[in-house]
Amino acid sequence: MADSKNKRILIIEDEFLIGELYARALEKEGYQAELIIDGAEALKKAQTNEYDIILLDLMLPNLDGVEILKTLRNPELTPGFKAKVIITTNIEERKEIKKAIEKEADGYVIKADITPSELVSLVNSVNQ
Amino acid sequence: MEELKRITVKSWLKIFSIISLLDIALIWLLYYSLKHTKFNSLYIFYSFSFIFILLNLVYIRSVVKKLIQPLKFLWQTIAHLNQNSTVEKPDFNKLKTAKDLTINLADQIIQLFTIQQDKTKEQDQKSNGLNNNTVIKNIPVPFLILDNNENVLFANEALGKYIGMQTADIVNKNFYMIMDMSFPSEDTFDVWLKDSKQNTATSIKSWERVRLAVRDNHPVRLFDLAAYYNKDNPQNQTTLIILFDHTKQYMQDDQAISFVALGVHELRTPLTLLRGYVEALKEDLNNEQIDNQQVQSFLTKMDASAKQMTSFVNNILNVARIDNDQLELNLQSEDWPKIISDSVEAMRLRAKIRGIEITLDVAPDLPKVGVDRISIYEVISNLIDNAIKYSGQAKTINVKTYLNSEGLVETCVQDYGVGINENIMSNLFTKYYRDHNNRAQIGGTGLGLYLSKAIISAHDGNIWVTSKIGKGSNFYFTLVPFDKLNKEIKNTSSEEIVTTAHGWIKNHSLYRR
Repeated sequence: MADSKNKRILIIEDEFLIGELYARALEKEGYQAELIIDGAEALKKAQTNEYDIILLDLMLPNLDGVEILKTLRNPELTPGFKAKVIITTNIEERKEIKKAIEKEADGYVIKADITPSELVSLVNSVNQ
Repeated sequence: MEELKRITVKSWLKIFSIISLLDIALIWLLYYSLKHTKFNSLYIFYSFSFIFILLNLVYIRSVVKKLIQPLKFLWQTIAHLNQNSTVEKPDFNKLKTAKDLTINLADQIIQLFTIQQDKTKEQDQKSNGLNNNTVIKNIPVPFLILDNNENVLFANEALGKYIGMQTADIVNKNFYMIMDMSFPSEDTFDVWLKDSKQNTATSIKSWERVRLAVRDNHPVRLFDLAAYYNKDNPQNQTTLIILFDHTKQYMQDDQAISFVALGVHELRTPLTLLRGYVEALKEDLNNEQIDNQQVQSFLTKMDASAKQMTSFVNNILNVARIDNDQLELNLQSEDWPKIISDSVEAMRLRAKIRGIEITLDVAPDLPKVGVDRISIYEVISNLIDNAIKYSGQAKTINVKTYLNSEGLVETCVQDYGVGINENIMSNLFTKYYRDHNNRAQIGGTGLGLYLSKAIISAHDGNIWVTSKIGKGSNFYFTLVPFDKLNKEIKNTSSEEIVTTAHGWIKNHSLYRR
């Protein structure tokens, strides 16, 4: 059983209701979840290195998920970044983008294919 | 070239004949002086001889000097052109080499011309006279021939036109410099050619969906490519490449693919929510933690998600109808303030989720309008949905409706969001069009405005937009009051059957197609 106590999760999700459902399910499991909609603000938050796991949507206002991921994984732009990043999206991405994401992310999931509790299991497995 | 030598000799003869004439004149003067003078004739003879020699020398020197200067420049120019020259460089400081210089120059020129002739011959042999064959040059399918070093030996006129270059600028250039192509997979032309050169004597292959890198303002080119390699082909013509244009078809395919991808996103979002709420409700029921208020809120959101899916499905269906000229409207006399406030109400939850308030301002005493209730709802929800999506940080959307100066009922959906760039305004109502700058950040299929315009046009109304980057956008549309519409249509339509989603009705009011 993964230890979820005091683990902080940042949910970057532009569909507020989806983010709300995910936060609810994760909090039930004992995680501390924080929800943010705007891409540019989300990047600033993620760069504080206060989070253990980041759920990252790709289609986001002001700054898209692929850009956020690149910035977080660049040690010059985000020094000391250690959080696990799981991509949560409903976009059918092109092959090239999928490949790029594969290199940088710790997980990739289509939101419509999973329920919130299945997302929690996924987060648990990443948090081991 | 012998002619050149002859001319050079001729001009030297001319110079010497002038000098000879001058000398004859002097000799004659000497003879005349000796005959008529009273002085010592030997003395006079010496003086004349001295003047004679001096004059000749001065004259020759000045003539040679004048001649040598332009010849020197000419020699340098020719020598520059003929860099591989085997002719020895003359010593310009020695005047006596003026003649040598002229001969040297003639040799240089002869050599240069011979090399040029050889080159042309070689070129003709290489391309096997293709460059002079008008039939081959004018074959309407773009093609080119490469030598063993991937240099272009021949390109026909159609190829030049297709890639937007003059054929003269293509020939002798490296093929990869001329055509920067991208292939749909890693199986590319250059990989095949390399492999063919190493492993086979002859090989043939084709590729689909090749894209030419866009250069300057030249339009996008998408084509199939066929290539034939034979290392033993005569005149080093090792590779033949033919292009089959499919730009139009492949562009349409691309749009359709991206439409499917975007459509999938539009359906997956409400689907995610429905699955999420179903699971949450199930869990609550299992744990017997029934909070009526929460259940109510979940159900409302589920309803909103289901409606979102319905309107997306209707959008697609209506676009298909418009494209096949099958859009049918059942125009009824409707109370516009009621329709608009119902529509706004239905969108409020979607806006609220993003923290956006919608205000509604309805002018009093609006006349009844002739609208198809279901279709016009699609228009309002598309416009408000756009306003929500493109609101950025703004938190207000205003919907206003009033009677305009032309007596039409005008409605405006106003947001204070990201705004629209002026140069893309004219594309907004085009099918599948989406603003490039926002594609990765805002979902949508590029159908909403296309559909809205078609529906409003079928209502005899107008739709347009005003916008400022960073300040927001105003979308306007007009509807014709029922009385006016009634007069127009009574003259043209008879009683017709109107099909609806639920079956059919006999039309007693208005029917349009």
